[in-house]
Amino acid sequence: MNFIHNYIYYIGAFGLVFIGIYIILVKRNLIKVIIGLSILDTGINLFLISIGYISKGTAPIFSKIDMENAPMVDPVPQALVLTAIVIGVAVLALALSLAIRLYHHYGTLNLRKIKEQRW
Amino acid sequence: MRRIISLILLAVVALGIALCVIHIPFGAPKTKVGNYYIDKGREQTGATNIVTSVVVNYRGFDTLGEVTVLFVAAIGVSAVLATLKKKFQKKIEPPSLVLNAGCRFLFPLVLFFGAYIFIHGHLTPGGGFQGGAIIASAFLLTYLGCRGRRISESRSKLTESLSGLVFVLVGLIGLAIGGHYFLYNFLPKGVLHSLLSAGIIPIIYIAIGFKVGSEIAGIIDKLVEES
Amino acid sequence: MVNPVLLIAVPLGLSFTIPLFGLISRKIEKYVPVVALIFNLVISSILIPEVIKQPINVFIGGFQPPFCINLVVGPVGILFSALIALVGLLASIYALDYIREGAKQLYHMLYLLLLTGATGVVLTGDIFNLFVFFEILCISSYALVAYLGDKAGIESAVKYLIQGAMGSSLMLIGIGLLYGLFGTLNMADIASNIDTVSSISIFVPMVLLITGLGVEAAIFPLNAWLPDAHSSAPSSISAILSGIAIKVGIYAVARVVFTIFGASSILQFLAILGLLTLLIGEVSAFCQSNIKRLLAYSSIGQIGLVVFALGMGISYGVVGGLFQLISHALSKALLFFAVGYMIYRSGSMDISKLEGMGKQMPLTSFAFTIGAFSLVGLPPFIGFPSKFLIIRAALSKQELLFTILVAFVLLGTVIEGAYFFRVVQVLYFKGNHTDLQREEAPIPALIPIVILMVLIVAIGVYPKSLTRMLNSASSELLNRVAYIRSVLR
Repeated sequence: MNFIHNYIYYIGAFGLVFIGIYIILVKRNLIKVIIGLSILDTGINLFLISIGYISKGTAPIFSKIDMENAPMVDPVPQALVLTAIVIGVAVLALALSLAIRLYHHYGTLNLRKIKEQRW
Repeated sequence: MRRIISLILLAVVALGIALCVIHIPFGAPKTKVGNYYIDKGREQTGATNIVTSVVVNYRGFDTLGEVTVLFVAAIGVSAVLATLKKKFQKKIEPPSLVLNAGCRFLFPLVLFFGAYIFIHGHLTPGGGFQGGAIIASAFLLTYLGCRGRRISESRSKLTESLSGLVFVLVGLIGLAIGGHYFLYNFLPKGVLHSLLSAGIIPIIYIAIGFKVGSEIAGIIDKLVEES
Repeated sequence: MVNPVLLIAVPLGLSFTIPLFGLISRKIEKYVPVVALIFNLVISSILIPEVIKQPINVFIGGFQPPFCINLVVGPVGILFSALIALVGLLASIYALDYIREGAKQLYHMLYLLLLTGATGVVLTGDIFNLFVFFEILCISSYALVAYLGDKAGIESAVKYLIQGAMGSSLMLIGIGLLYGLFGTLNMADIASNIDTVSSISIFVPMVLLITGLGVEAAIFPLNAWLPDAHSSAPSSISAILSGIAIKVGIYAVARVVFTIFGASSILQFLAILGLLTLLIGEVSAFCQSNIKRLLAYSSIGQIGLVVFALGMGISYGVVGGLFQLISHALSKALLFFAVGYMIYRSGSMDISKLEGMGKQMPLTSFAFTIGAFSLVGLPPFIGFPSKFLIIRAALSKQELLFTILVAFVLLGTVIEGAYFFRVVQVLYFKGNHTDLQREEAPIPALIPIVILMVLIVAIGVYPKSLTRMLNSASSELLNRVAYIRSVLR
């Protein structure tokens, strides 16, 4: 029980990651694949944040005058996640615009049917 | 068949990651690099928000790259949707009076809130990206509530280019004067907890706030125009 | 002494100003990438003599590593940066006349940002910074593959994007695990502490990083996107993707495997994977009837050869691999430039439609022939010393396994020669079209073609001009301790 309590954040984050990868590998509709990509990104960001947690720590902002020795969480993973979220949004925007163009060309979003380029 | 192979692959990967994550205990004591930033962050950068000082000053090059990634995505969306010929014109139903008036009332308030977040990025939680996203959500509110109004594309492109240029120029000025380091914090650090402190950090965050806001609003505008 | 950070900052700044130039006049937009890349080429060439003596370390922001991001400009970095600037400059001159439709201003911005991302990847010394610049490179290439907007282009771009995005996400998981284990993101810092954790917890991030970077580097089995993407993109972009983007992916894999992890156990596996890639690429190219798809499969084959050379783990092998990278970049760019206008004149990408091009576009067909012979490895072109070095390195290992693998490399070269000779035969000797007039490619396309031909012949005849540079580059890659000491003094 203690084991689960310690690692629950990792289990949750990787659960999202594996659900995202499963959706990308298995689903046929392009929009569902893009949603899977978004879930994968969310899971990874959650994992990165939970690496930086220090027990009983608070946000690394010196907002009050006497916060000298309060334990604080690691600020570096938060900076990494800021960048990773923006990169995820950028890929998502480009993927959606490509999906719009693909629909105009083929009339369907079924990836099994969009196989014009063979061997 | 495809499902079974994917499940086996995922099980193998999960096992591998589990073996590695066991060695990263949750809530472990501070690491060397994080320790340094928390202890020396305030005197070296002058910002009380340590995450901001990490994002803009210690790892400012990553932020420059991230701003470029968003720029590439905005241009990419415009380039991909540039040669699209619209097949049919949908009739836009005019919005109801309550929705229209409510959105027009809220629009400047949301903009103001977003500006507050990115101007105070070095003092309170928040910063350029968060403020920019809020500004873009104000534009999204206008598209959803008062349909038929569009932002001017040339003006948003101009804002994007100028803000990006400001970021790179601030870095190059740091290279030219004061220390020969790119992105060197060459302005005076000021008094802690006051608005005009932390050297170049507010300038960079204001530029990022404008850039991200106009970029995401531009992406939303392009996607709305095509549907 | 010039600060190497200008190699990244100046093209980045200039790409932000392209819309501002566009407000003044639409005609000067296409010259901005040319100016930026001339600047990069000049600065890289100036820095080469200094860097060979002592690698330059640039600290961004004025703090000490590992508390800041640092650029490590060593021989490998400056060599790749000069190669990127050279091939990029030639492709931007080619694109002055080749890009006529679509939103041209956006093409030039995306192009310059792609090259900025590539330069950033090869110069950085911090693993998360590598990820960010790698993403700039990948996302620009997704958008540029879809630039023409036709059916094939959009479909290839979607498949490329999904595979590339999944690869990047796996790479990010690997970076997260590395930060959790070591507490730092600086490559030299991680490399110096690599022995403090158990080997299974090192193995997982390494596999995730190699898989994530291997999607862009086109290692088998992660290269399913490559034939579609390289054949559906406009020809100047195909040259950049085949010539630069895959090379930068290979550099990143080499940096991760050699410098950070120092893993000699995985090198043999990589060598065998490289050989598989080589054979599959060459055999698939042999069965193609679409000229650009043939060139794309040939790129897969050549990259397999490079991975095989790097996987040998000895100094001769790494020198041969780096030489092969340069020779493939120059030859494949020449091939794509020549094919671009041949397709434009004949109207289709089928090989049989290129009959009689020897008479219609003699200079371009001659350039194609030189590029093809150089890729196969005939003297006096640049492909010969590079392949010779790789085979000599494999034989010098004196192991039975490598001797067998060398036989497969020679088999791959024979298959390559077969399909390239077939294309050259169609260009010159098929059919009798005596009534065709000479209609050569325009001047902006001929300048890069002629320059590349001269370079291929010059370096092929006098390879010693490059070997001093390559020797110091290979010793930087293999010598982890020197790298760590130069950064964390």
